[in-house]
Amino acid sequence: MGPIHLFDVASRVNHWLTVRQSTIAQNVANANTPGFKSQDVKPFASTLEAMSLAMSSSRPEHMTHTPAADARTELNADESGEMLHSGNTVNLEMEMSKAGEVNRAYALNTSTLKAFHRMLMTSSKV
Amino acid sequence: MSDPLKVILKIAASGLEAQSARMRVVSENLANAQSTGKTPGADPYTRKVVSFETEVDEATNANLVKVENVDLHRSPYRIEHDPSNPAADANGYVKLPNVNMLVEMADMREANRSYEANLQVMKQAREMITMTIDLMRSS
Repeated sequence: MGPIHLFDVASRVNHWLTVRQSTIAQNVANANTPGFKSQDVKPFASTLEAMSLAMSSSRPEHMTHTPAADARTELNADESGEMLHSGNTVNLEMEMSKAGEVNRAYALNTSTLKAFHRMLMTSSKV
Repeated sequence: MSDPLKVILKIAASGLEAQSARMRVVSENLANAQSTGKTPGADPYTRKVVSFETEVDEATNANLVKVENVDLHRSPYRIEHDPSNPAADANGYVKLPNVNMLVEMADMREANRSYEANLQVMKQAREMITMTIDLMRSS
């Protein structure tokens, strides 16, 4: 049986979700800014693949956690919204529903993490 | 690396600030909807409009929003014939502000809506922070 990267993956998902939520916050804050284009992050699956490729290194000291880790969640111009006369593409309703979705996913993830943590603690208790 | 959750609070706060500045300008316009000039033939109060722009925060690389400028609106003044008015010119015409109540109300609604959306984002971020802290709590 291979090692379980459960906590690693969970923390990465959580980080991805927070980056997505901050992108949504940017969109909402700029909902009335002329010329602002709505943005979104890449899906988690593709960032996870890119991450595991980037993590290959020959020496342990090569694995440094740089601020560039933020760059793995690239912002894509979101094409789904239609453009207003001012050149703004933010759709407030859609952003709110996305924010709710991210919040629910975060809740699910933290609860799962908590459950696994409880299991570990139970097995380590006398 | 700055925590995205903290960045959210910052971004939402900038949105709240921008929208409340907009609301302030709307209230100024509404309050001065009837303000004429002081001397005969003088220009009355001119409607103000805010414009927003995106500002990139260098520390966090986040797209904040800020009020770029408060400009004077360039539509013509309303003119009424009222010779007894102190601000009337030699021909008895008074210049009234170029404030349109309906436009101001619509602007106010939009500012209100955007303010609420920013507040909602802030609430969601706070919930996420609480969830993270709750991981440390022994249940």
